[in-house]
Amino acid sequence: MADMSLVVRGRAVVSETRHLLFSVMPGAVWIIVFLVLPSVYLMAVAFMTNGPYGQPQMPLSLESFRQLAGFGFLGWSPGNLYTLLRSLWQTLLSTVLVVIVAYPIAYYITTCREKWRPIMLLVVVVPSWTNQVIRTFGWMNLLAPGTPLSDAAQALGLIAPNMGLYPSNFAVTLGLVYNFLPFMVLPLYAAFEKLDTAQVQAAQDLYASPVRAFWHAVFPQTLPGLLAGTVLVAIPAFGMYVIPELLGGGKGMMLGNLVANQFAGSANWPLGAAGAILMLIATFAGLFAMRRIGKRLGGGEEVVI
Amino acid sequence: MTNPMPAPEVEYSDPLDDTRERDDAMPREASSIELKGLRKQFGKDMVALDGVDLTIEAGEFFTLLGPSGCGKTTLLRILAGLEDPDDGKLLIGGKDVTDIPPHRRSVNTVFQSYALFPHLSVRDNLAFGLRMRGESVAERQRKVAEVAEFIQLGSLVERRVDQLSGGQRQRIALARALVCEPNVLLLDEPLSALDAGLRGQLQVELQRIQKRLGMTFVFVTHDQDEAMVMSDRIAVLDSGIIQQVGTPSEVYEHPVNAFVARFMGHDNLFAIQRSADNWVDTDLGRLQLDAAQQRAEQQGWLLIRPETLELGGEVPPGYNRLEGIVKERLYRGSRIEYRLEINGVNLMVVTSNLGQRLHAVGDKVTVSVCPEDLVRVAA
Amino acid sequence: MKKRTLQRGLSTFWWVTIVFLYLPLLVVMLFSFNASNSAANFTGFSLRWYERLLGNEQIISAFWNSLVLAIVSSVMALVIGCLIGYGMYRHRHRKLGWLIVLIYLPIVLPDIVFGISEMAFFVSIHRHTGLLQPGLGTMIIAHVTFQIPFVALIVYSRLVGLDATLFEAAKDLYATPFKRAVHFLMPTLKPALISAFFLSFTLSIDDFVISFFTAGPESATLPIYIWGAIKKGVSPEINAIATLMIGAVAIAAVLSLMFNRKGRY
Repeated sequence: MADMSLVVRGRAVVSETRHLLFSVMPGAVWIIVFLVLPSVYLMAVAFMTNGPYGQPQMPLSLESFRQLAGFGFLGWSPGNLYTLLRSLWQTLLSTVLVVIVAYPIAYYITTCREKWRPIMLLVVVVPSWTNQVIRTFGWMNLLAPGTPLSDAAQALGLIAPNMGLYPSNFAVTLGLVYNFLPFMVLPLYAAFEKLDTAQVQAAQDLYASPVRAFWHAVFPQTLPGLLAGTVLVAIPAFGMYVIPELLGGGKGMMLGNLVANQFAGSANWPLGAAGAILMLIATFAGLFAMRRIGKRLGGGEEVVI
Repeated sequence: MTNPMPAPEVEYSDPLDDTRERDDAMPREASSIELKGLRKQFGKDMVALDGVDLTIEAGEFFTLLGPSGCGKTTLLRILAGLEDPDDGKLLIGGKDVTDIPPHRRSVNTVFQSYALFPHLSVRDNLAFGLRMRGESVAERQRKVAEVAEFIQLGSLVERRVDQLSGGQRQRIALARALVCEPNVLLLDEPLSALDAGLRGQLQVELQRIQKRLGMTFVFVTHDQDEAMVMSDRIAVLDSGIIQQVGTPSEVYEHPVNAFVARFMGHDNLFAIQRSADNWVDTDLGRLQLDAAQQRAEQQGWLLIRPETLELGGEVPPGYNRLEGIVKERLYRGSRIEYRLEINGVNLMVVTSNLGQRLHAVGDKVTVSVCPEDLVRVAA
Repeated sequence: MKKRTLQRGLSTFWWVTIVFLYLPLLVVMLFSFNASNSAANFTGFSLRWYERLLGNEQIISAFWNSLVLAIVSSVMALVIGCLIGYGMYRHRHRKLGWLIVLIYLPIVLPDIVFGISEMAFFVSIHRHTGLLQPGLGTMIIAHVTFQIPFVALIVYSRLVGLDATLFEAAKDLYATPFKRAVHFLMPTLKPALISAFFLSFTLSIDDFVISFFTAGPESATLPIYIWGAIKKGVSPEINAIATLMIGAVAIAAVLSLMFNRKGRY
């Protein structure tokens, strides 16, 4: 009797597992075959040698990482290092600027009437639904030589006569801020909306100055949102390709362009793959760091994608 | 009954007073249920049912009563087929249905959350089971109209589910199960989400519907008052084991152990220190017992139901006599509850409010109780 | 007093930001109607750039490529993603950490890494087996890969928001597994599925980087065509295609939003 039911029970477990496999396997296999395997292959490529026609070859070596650090036939050159540093700098600068713009905007939306808030959020998000290439192209139109913005910059002596505001590092920063602003506004808005106003009022009683009240009562409560926004902005910004390619020119190149160029023009797959590994490390390190900080702050599971 | 009847939320007429001929559209083919050695375990060490043997008669209103986590809901889910037992057999109407999936059992459930389909209208909810069983459109329409009239909610059938009140949802959930004419109807705490007034009203109504249809009802609740009001028989469960099965009066007046006694709301339980054929020693002192109460086991508890105690007045010959001090008095309208202190232990006394003089806190009073009303209860 | 100054300041800042967000798009749309081909001066209204679009075979072919890619990949992702979402829900009490990691992978991977690893993989497979020649097929594969997680998460969150006893009620009311899928699961999931389809569609139309690296010579989509045109030099024709795409995406996105809102009881 007991044995019989064990058999029945075992059959039920088996059929549940089969059900799990049937439902989940097509997608899981798809992602494994078409994303995990290619990524693993790419990592392997980074440790191969560059062939005469740009295809990866045996033997295995660390040559590509040496090249990434700037060592070539002609000795060491700082070009790649500059690109790397520029990527870091652009990421940092644009993230800070995005925070500076998004913070008051997110706060302002929460002070408006409830029925307007979803519409205001929509208004902020809608531009990001358009293709990135088109949005960046819009900025090329705006910053080109002869446009009011460029004329104004010339009049102020910021740029040479007959030049436009692009290509330049400034244009890349602007493009990045423009591109990622909504990604910061949404999580910050979520944080502001949950703000415990009782704490704010208590702080206003305790601290005479509004600045100190803000710093002690409001800011800590918005930190989880800020953190989530930083993940959503900094990680994709570091790997950005389209914006520096269109707005940056040769001197505005970022890591994404360096990597992409190895697969398009210059054809050095191992070098490109090595750059991609660097990008992956940065991505996962960023995610990991944010998770750790988020856990310390408590309520760090705010990362909404 | 503890719940006084408030003004009904929905007007209804008494189905029993109905002078129309009983409609024979709803066959009353009730089934008996037999459980044999049913076991169910979740994970490694969470035993929900620990060998349950139980027989429920055809056409009975049977209640599974117990605290949360006692296994009553698991038992109900096994009856419905929503959970497979690890061991044991389940027979409905004499047929072994242990391995029959829920959609092939002639058993329907009224869920605690009602589980009405939000994407369907009330009418489509009512017709869902019939449609799944493949009944014709005409048949479906006739039965839905009939059941809607039966539960007095004919006007609601075109509504969406989210337009209904809690009480209305409850009735629709009931109707959705009834319209399938199951041999057994299972009810999983169907009244727990309703406020007290509506609850009392629906308790009476459910009982009447059951009697009228003659269907087997298995009802789950943690509320002993509800169980006593509605049931033909009650099974009290604890830790996956059936403690006692009996009619409401058996379970209330003669609980088999201290758990059942406490769960049925008894406070006056006293550990037996010594006992003989016709007396026991407790903290209250020595009390005379009816010899018929004699039980094999010597240890256990003495149960004194508070309403069997007589406060003040003459002590009839042969009665036990106790003296105590009134520590607390609760005026409940139809009755008055006193908490007395006797030899440093509490004794609850309930008297009917017949206009007699009330005792004040601090009064010294005599209490008497007939030996026949003292019940010995196993540990 | 002070508070009102702050509020007024914020309101001004809000409008400045809105101008900042919409200016590039408005400029594109405005100059698509420009009579001359100047990128700096608007000389008069004309539809000449739109007329030119119709005559450009490359654009027409890119348009069809974009459309076919978006529809085919969205439908495939809908089927696969819906299955995963349901599987994740049904087996949510099991340890599915590996599955969650797998599902988030396409979301967190930088586009460029995503694109080049697919490209490197497809090219190598093609070199050795002749299969997976870069073209519309490889693009569909890549798009389905990044759409699956979004569909799965939408379906999963819809199911989690549902009263779990509804599934049991359907079983209890004589529905066989097949009838449960047809009469309960599908109608309940319908709004979520429609919304997921539109989201997938929008994501596909919006994508440039991944398409760029997985495309073949014959399978340029509109963003790829625009990219090439920009690289050759800014032309008002680009403004016209861009304007059409802005309009199309806006409509798809609004539809997606409408269905998603209706789906929440």
